[in-house]
Amino acid sequence: MERILTAQAGHDDQRTLAAARSRGAYEGLRRALDLTPQEVITAVTESGLRGRGGAGFPTGRKWAFIRPQPGQAVYLLCNADESEPGTFKDHYLLERDPHLVLEGVCIAAYAIGAHTAYIYLRGEYASLGRILESALAEARAAGLIGATLLDSSVALQIRMQLGAGAYICGEETGLIQSLEGRRGYPRVRPPFPAVHGFVNQPTVVNNVETLANLPWIMTHGTDAFARIGTEKSTGTKLISVCGAVNRPGVYEVEMGYPLSEFLDHEAGGILEGRALKAVIPGGTSVPVLTAQETEGVTIDFESMQHAGTMLGSGGMIVFDETASMPHALATMADFYAHESCGECTPCREGTGWMAWIIARLLAGQGRPDDLERLLRIGNNIEGRTICGLGDAAVQPVRSIITKFRPEFEALLPAVIDSRPDWQRHEHGPRTARHGDPAREATLSEPVTGPPTARL
Amino acid sequence: MSLLSAQSVARIDELRRTEPTAQCALLTALRLMQRERRQIGVAEVEEIAGLLGLSAASVDGVARFYDQFSREPTGRRIVSVCRGIACYLRGAEERAGQIGRALGVRPGETTADGRLTLHLVECIGDCDHAPAVMLDDAFLGVVTPEGLRALLEQAPTDGGG
Repeated sequence: MERILTAQAGHDDQRTLAAARSRGAYEGLRRALDLTPQEVITAVTESGLRGRGGAGFPTGRKWAFIRPQPGQAVYLLCNADESEPGTFKDHYLLERDPHLVLEGVCIAAYAIGAHTAYIYLRGEYASLGRILESALAEARAAGLIGATLLDSSVALQIRMQLGAGAYICGEETGLIQSLEGRRGYPRVRPPFPAVHGFVNQPTVVNNVETLANLPWIMTHGTDAFARIGTEKSTGTKLISVCGAVNRPGVYEVEMGYPLSEFLDHEAGGILEGRALKAVIPGGTSVPVLTAQETEGVTIDFESMQHAGTMLGSGGMIVFDETASMPHALATMADFYAHESCGECTPCREGTGWMAWIIARLLAGQGRPDDLERLLRIGNNIEGRTICGLGDAAVQPVRSIITKFRPEFEALLPAVIDSRPDWQRHEHGPRTARHGDPAREATLSEPVTGPPTARL
Repeated sequence: MSLLSAQSVARIDELRRTEPTAQCALLTALRLMQRERRQIGVAEVEEIAGLLGLSAASVDGVARFYDQFSREPTGRRIVSVCRGIACYLRGAEERAGQIGRALGVRPGETTADGRLTLHLVECIGDCDHAPAVMLDDAFLGVVTPEGLRALLEQAPTDGGG
């Protein structure tokens, strides 16, 4: 298989400019600069490249929305806020091949007419930020990036911004807000970032992996890219696989690659020869597949959708037969309750209640209608929030309860405590990001503890 | 008397001049302050507000939103044990307990001598080394409590800005 993203990442010296250039780095940029920006947009549109951050929106179309008014500055924002649980593919690229990412940033900025680009990295990736900074310094010193891109007359400044620990800042408008020095509260759309983005200027936000595809498309051509993968999912995809597999890691596969083959070969099979129980293919924000449902599924946008889930970020989480799905779900629900930014009521309150009800089920204090209650809360969140976090939080809850219901029913106590709420619990649910100093202390308690201990 | 080093003040000043708005420099200013002062308390908020020409309330409101800014002083070193789903599946809870016992501190707490703080954190994106642990900015991957103690003896690397 042709490797588009990881062909050079295995070389130990790939971070240095000289070594990267000896393997063709910045050749894609040279080709792009020989074209007009409009020709680059057309080429990327025709390649069929779709965003690799999770939503899969066609990259060329996103760029084509940029129509600056006179006097407006266009911005490119590279989303390196990789925070989707189970996802570490951008980590791999940033760590191994920073010049590939920088070259992709240059090509995209040229295409949309941006003279300033920001790379927004999650705060936990500060060490990767230093790798990227030194790569950028080398490229600047060599005259590749800065007052002129290569020997063209096009200027591009690339700046870096580190986040500070907030999942929501990976959502594109949350990222913009954070970059502006605000709370990462997502914005209502429309207006879309292409019209009112960073500091109200036309803005494109592209994921690291999306941008890393651009140099290859420029050097090998649109047709070559479109021939790889499937009709609607062209190219390759980085899959970061983790959980109960023998070889967790990042693998580049051609779109359309069978999921079962990926698990057996690339991922090295299930840990200790156990049986597969379930797979979450694209980060915790997409529905789970049971082992049976994975049969015949291929790694691409259409097949995943057909199977009732999503390719998402490509953060694949594998569960073996020994996994307790209610406990795993509690971990995921806690994450969303913690990371809900608090802007929209259904998500802020709903994620807290879902986490709390799952905790009380695990503590043997569930009520007969708790499973229906969880599903109903999910229905009341979905579609009623500004951004996708609320919808995302519902996916694991709904899919895991529906597909592994007996495990949850087994948690319901034989004898029902019929006292009213106020007699049963002293506290309400854990709530979202309100700076609660007691929060972390509660997280230290085992997830199997009684709900009151976790609050 | 400034709470921040002259170098950091100069960096914030430069950002204030070169970013599209002064507030665009806020996240970096808070990061520098957190690194140097180990906390974003009232005095820290007021100094940043003064440097950037923002209200103290708006600076505080932003600082409280992000997990890596702390109202109370953290320890000089920060150990973060990942509790994300991938790490959960590979024994994160057990590992967090072992590390907490070995270091004599519970998650969310700082040792009495201010030497270190132990955090349980959401997915840190190092899931192929689960259960993953970070020491300050460094990804340690799988580490035993003994290995971690040895690393804590060494001098910290650059904390980044």
